[in-house]
Amino acid sequence: MPARNHKQWTANPPLKDGEWINSRIYSDPEIAQEENEKIFKNMWVPVCHESELPAPYDFRTTSIANENIIICRGPDNEVRAFLNVCPHRGMLIERRPSGSFMEGQASGNPKRITCMFHAWQFDMKGNCVYVAREKEGYQDRLCKEQVGLRRLRCEVKFGGFVWINLNDNPSVSLEDWAGEPFECLRKTLDEEPLEVFHYHKAIIDTNYKLWHDTNSEFYHDFMHYHNRVTGFNDAYFARKNEAFDHGHVVVGTFEVNYENYEGFESRADLSFPHLPPNQWYMVDLFPGFNFNLRGSALRCDTVTPLGPDKVLIEFRGLGLKSDSPEDRMTRIKHHNSIWGPFGRNLHEDLIGVAGQGTTMRPDTEPRRILHGRQENQTIHDENGMRHYYEEWGRWMDRSPIAPDMPFSDRDDGSQVVNAE
Amino acid sequence: MIEMKAKIERAIYEASMALDNNNWAGWLSLCDEEFNYKITAFSPEINKDMIYFEHNKGELANLLDMLPKHNTDHSPLFRHTSVYTVDVSESGTEARATSSVVVFQNMLDGVNSHLDSGESRLFLVGRYHDTFTITDGVVKFVTRETRLENRRLDKGSHYPI
Ligand code: FES
Ligand SMILES: [Fe+2]
Repeated sequence: MPARNHKQWTANPPLKDGEWINSRIYSDPEIAQEENEKIFKNMWVPVCHESELPAPYDFRTTSIANENIIICRGPDNEVRAFLNVCPHRGMLIERRPSGSFMEGQASGNPKRITCMFHAWQFDMKGNCVYVAREKEGYQDRLCKEQVGLRRLRCEVKFGGFVWINLNDNPSVSLEDWAGEPFECLRKTLDEEPLEVFHYHKAIIDTNYKLWHDTNSEFYHDFMHYHNRVTGFNDAYFARKNEAFDHGHVVVGTFEVNYENYEGFESRADLSFPHLPPNQWYMVDLFPGFNFNLRGSALRCDTVTPLGPDKVLIEFRGLGLKSDSPEDRMTRIKHHNSIWGPFGRNLHEDLIGVAGQGTTMRPDTEPRRILHGRQENQTIHDENGMRHYYEEWGRWMDRSPIAPDMPFSDRDDGSQVVNAE
Repeated sequence: MIEMKAKIERAIYEASMALDNNNWAGWLSLCDEEFNYKITAFSPEINKDMIYFEHNKGELANLLDMLPKHNTDHSPLFRHTSVYTVDVSESGTEARATSSVVVFQNMLDGVNSHLDSGESRLFLVGRYHDTFTITDGVVKFVTRETRLENRRLDKGSHYPI
């Protein structure tokens, strides 16, 4: 087709509803804010890995949907999560990303979570255990028993990741929400403890969903020279893209030929437990969490949306806690070669989504984004994204092709509304 | 000794210039056959020393040869290097040096080149920890550890730092 005029350019494509969406859902500040309220505040979020707080009194801080969170390990070894907000006058209680409460802080005692502002102190269960000059100021009107921290739902699961849900009554348990997609890796991830060896973050001018899309579509392997030479064969093109309830997708495995890339080596010797050599599994959880196992190393990405056109992506790499120093080094090398900040593929992926973010920044004209490849649910089929946006439509009660219209299911899973 | 220290400083600055110019062959020619290159950082988030990149000379040469096959951000990097310490062994055959390095990215692509190109942004901050061999007065890098302070790396890079 020759280049199109404005009317042609903005017309709906000759694809079924659901096979394309409206780019406004990547650009609209109101939608982005609503996603935090409707989705992220009700979702299980893998905020960190338990190996990041290995000892009693270790802590980590994070945030979900603008709410600050502190995670700590108690003397009973339980990992618990609380809002990182002081019940007195709203100070951020812990300011560092991680540390240990075994050390006393300037305003408080060891083994306590201390708010530096007026020295209120809390224990590892979130109980308030000290209010400075309590009786003098509050007499019998308020006591420390009434000013505990806000505790949050928190579970350690699926390979030792720490999952938090801001909703006290989630619509579905963590097991029911993600158990099925994790089934293919459950034995592998739970055989023995894992350990994080890599962390870095990126803040990219793009919508968080575009990052998740890139993690769940493999058609973009055309952008990765590495994946073309190590992957493109019959087994690769037969890989299944399997959709699960709640918007998740699992990309099935095949054997990667790492030696086809000059200077790369097979990863067979360091396969995770119960895996045949050089397998590659990918679990993509709605709305933006990715678990990617390339034989010898596990990668986990989590997104934290910062607006319609900004996202924080945290990247973790994991090996087995029992690794010898040599094995760990090899795993790190395997991880870095493709996924590190100086690796072959990650840089390309990030350039890709940043470019999408550029053309879809707020106030750009909405246009049609095509998710219409149908290839029998194999690797280049775009069913992963179609499945994702159906779930998105349900949570938001907005049609992904006409965001001002309510979402409605049809029998065939496609939608009945017309574009705006 | 003073002269040798000056030679080592010069090697560090020549390496910075070669890297600034994407002159990979020139950079590698300053390195011994045993050369090992690492990019490292400490993460307070996970409380671990990390290796972000590690390659020997052969692996590096391979990787750099392969660059045209990869999609890469086009913005050039410019290093500001200051040599802090140089210590030459008593035998005069080995040396080590620590330098401070700040890397700027001179935007070509940016997010939107119409707006961003031409601007320089702070890209990375760190130290070079280098070791050298000295044979017949010729200085060669044996190891370089580029130790970064950054854990936020946004798009990262395909280039050695
Ligand atoms: S705000 Fe925390 S003790 Fe006052
Ligand atoms: Fe990719």
